[in-house]
Amino acid sequence: MTATAPGVETTTEPQRKEPSYLEVKKGIGSWLGTLDHKRIGLMYLFGVTGAFAIGGLLALAIRIILWDTNLDLQQDAEFLNMYNQVFTLHGVFMVFLFIIPAIPGSLANFALPLMVGAPDVALPRLNLASFYLWMIGAVLAVVAIIQGGVDTGWTFYTPYSLQSKDGTVLMGTAIFILGFSSIFTGLNFIVTMHKLRARGQTWFKMPLFCWAIYATSVLQVLATPVLGITVLLLAFEHLYGIGVFDPKLGGDPVLFQHFFWFYSHPAVYIMILPAMGVISDVISVHARKPLFGYKLIAFSSISIAVISFLVWGHHMFTSGQSEYVMMAFSFLTMLVAIPTAIKVFSWVATIWGGSVALSAPMLYALAFIVIFTIGGLTGVFLGALSVDIHLHDTYFVVAHFHAVMMGSTAIAFFAGVHHWWPKMFGVMYHEGLAKIAAILILVGFNVTFLPQFYMGSQGMPRRYATYDPQFEIYHRWSTVGAGILGAGFALMLGYLGYSLLTRKIPAKHNQWGGVTMDWTGPTPPNLYNFDEPPVVTERLYDYSKLQKQLEEEAAQKSAGTQA
Amino acid sequence: MDPEFYGLPPAASTFAEDVDPLFEFLWIVCGFFFLLILAILAYSVVRYRRKRLEQPAASNVTHHTTLEIVWTLIPTVILMVVFAWGWKGNLKQSVAPPDALRYDVQAFQWGWSIYHPGAIRGSKDIWVPAGKPVQFVMTSPDVLHSMSIPAFRAKRDVVPGSRQILWFQATEDMVGESFRYYCTEYCGQGHSVMNGMVHVVSQAIYDTQPWAQVPEDPIEAGEYFYNTYGCSACHSSNGVAGSGPTFQNIWMREGKLSNGENYVADEAYIKNSVRNPDSQIVAGYPTGLMPKTWGDESGMPEADLDIIIGWMKSISEDN
Repeated sequence: MTATAPGVETTTEPQRKEPSYLEVKKGIGSWLGTLDHKRIGLMYLFGVTGAFAIGGLLALAIRIILWDTNLDLQQDAEFLNMYNQVFTLHGVFMVFLFIIPAIPGSLANFALPLMVGAPDVALPRLNLASFYLWMIGAVLAVVAIIQGGVDTGWTFYTPYSLQSKDGTVLMGTAIFILGFSSIFTGLNFIVTMHKLRARGQTWFKMPLFCWAIYATSVLQVLATPVLGITVLLLAFEHLYGIGVFDPKLGGDPVLFQHFFWFYSHPAVYIMILPAMGVISDVISVHARKPLFGYKLIAFSSISIAVISFLVWGHHMFTSGQSEYVMMAFSFLTMLVAIPTAIKVFSWVATIWGGSVALSAPMLYALAFIVIFTIGGLTGVFLGALSVDIHLHDTYFVVAHFHAVMMGSTAIAFFAGVHHWWPKMFGVMYHEGLAKIAAILILVGFNVTFLPQFYMGSQGMPRRYATYDPQFEIYHRWSTVGAGILGAGFALMLGYLGYSLLTRKIPAKHNQWGGVTMDWTGPTPPNLYNFDEPPVVTERLYDYSKLQKQLEEEAAQKSAGTQA
Repeated sequence: MDPEFYGLPPAASTFAEDVDPLFEFLWIVCGFFFLLILAILAYSVVRYRRKRLEQPAASNVTHHTTLEIVWTLIPTVILMVVFAWGWKGNLKQSVAPPDALRYDVQAFQWGWSIYHPGAIRGSKDIWVPAGKPVQFVMTSPDVLHSMSIPAFRAKRDVVPGSRQILWFQATEDMVGESFRYYCTEYCGQGHSVMNGMVHVVSQAIYDTQPWAQVPEDPIEAGEYFYNTYGCSACHSSNGVAGSGPTFQNIWMREGKLSNGENYVADEAYIKNSVRNPDSQIVAGYPTGLMPKTWGDESGMPEADLDIIIGWMKSISEDN
């Protein structure tokens, strides 16, 4: 292990005038009551990583259960209920406690104010409130698990979710509260970007991560209330017998699906847009090149946000909607694929002709592009009406959304963690191990989910605790892949934790050579980020100055060795 | 190309001629673009790999309007083709021909009751005549279910409170073949047990009404009914605790009801439990779970119930 990580070192590094945000105050109270966006971001980081670890262990449990066909357990109520609860908890933890808050709560909280040259977010108290709501939601979710019996799937479809189960109402309450946590975060970022951008930073001088978070925040603020209303109606129906969704009381179960997906489809983009933002900035820095087609990417984020409100019906292609409604939803679903394709092309074109560092964050970003492309293209299969009828509610859908959620959002989250880690803590992790983990995760993902695409095409339904013998071989491959994925993530948590505890490898001031404002101040940042309010005069993603310095220093060094 | 090459199940209905070519087209187009993206990515990473820290980017082009227009238009055109193609196939899937044979289908937690045309009792297995359109008129007394027959490329949710129609036409060349059908909308504990077989038969065999053929031996007939009525989804015959009590040793079993009274599983008790499921629940089991599907003669003829009870005796020790 080398004492210092290779990285960008320039003679013009800013001198630290005051202690970093990590050192300025000590003690547990200084964390729990902090209004500093960076500390709140770190608390989110540890929180969502914990939720990811629990959700991941549940995923492993699912895969281990499905190693066998379990046909001998078909009548065993205890086994069947256990399986149904495990996949429900996996979904609830991953969706509501990890993917939705992960990037906005941790990475955007940390990096976005830095990127716009602000001392903090616009509403620091609301920011802390958002974190505490997340904590309360998480605790309630755990209590609901202990209370037991939540086996509805993360979608809580009626009328099944109305059949008496003790934990369901509490889980609904948890999700209601988590929704407000999400709204507060979104609101905060919108205000921050409108009001706190540095002097000279016009909208089109904001890094693309900011654009992506802006689009996400709009979705969070506009769509999440619908989830709140839906959960509230569900609770009223459950507790007081008011007929909204239950046909026995005169309600309509498909109405629930409309409400649910009116939130949850935009929520899919609440999950993926921030990931696209992270990848855009990571690629620019590690290819040391301005993003190709910046404006088109920015507008594609916004158009995805707009169209994503109008495609929710594609989750209900088999529930008996009118053919003309289905036509409209299928058409709009195809439209949303266009800006998504543009983004992929732009990332590839950015790497083309760059100065491509195969650093750990870049390897995660490349894994993202590969898997996201798989996820996007298989989404087109599901948007095509007649083909969707065949694939609906099969493992094809499971594999598709895991490619987008797990293979893309989770990997982008970890790309961002590796990218900003030196900035956050002033230390580096062991990069060699990080590269091994990235490769394990890429391989593990494909071994897990490619067989699922295949058996889904064959008709293997989702959420089955027992299955036909013909699918066993694919399930076994999938379980092997999950083991590889698990090994990759365990290794990652290991070396990241080790780097934090031992602090052996100090980070460079500007570890990767970024030129956006998150890399200009001291590392780790001061409590209020910048000594003086920054003024933006240069173009965005202008690497020419950095390039010149690097070349001069290289020339000096070689002159030094010659002398 | 053979649809099975792309991972599809055998093509056994007329929908396959719409679905399979589109599926194949999607594989080819998506496969092409995936490999293209992968190739350009791999080339860029290898060709432009940073070998020295100060190595500059080979190009600083920030945009190229023509290229951007091209890569916006190409996916747009392809996507519109896919949309129109998929919609066309779906219109056929959506509208059943007026002469389709009507099967009444009830989905319940956790099983299927298929009433073939003219049948007096529901069955679990399905027989369809090749070359004839068939429509399922589907209802559910409890929660959402979904009828999925992968080999027919057919699927439709069963929504409580409404009637859902699923139609298809098995192709002539599939006579004698059998395919799995599944419930694909999560419905609770027994979701993964809710499946059975669809048999494609010739008109001659169809006319013999295979769904009405019951084994002659009364014990075998009892076991046949136990499976085909769907009792087996919740009540095991080998002592395993399901969501309902096991039928092993059920005859004259004694125990407590949820209201504290004692019960003896004699004929009157068993019949009442089938006809009025919630009236005498064994302590420890939930009410409201067992469907009232078999509440009267049309759901389960009295004679069938007697035969099932005869079979219950046969798997009990003190019969």
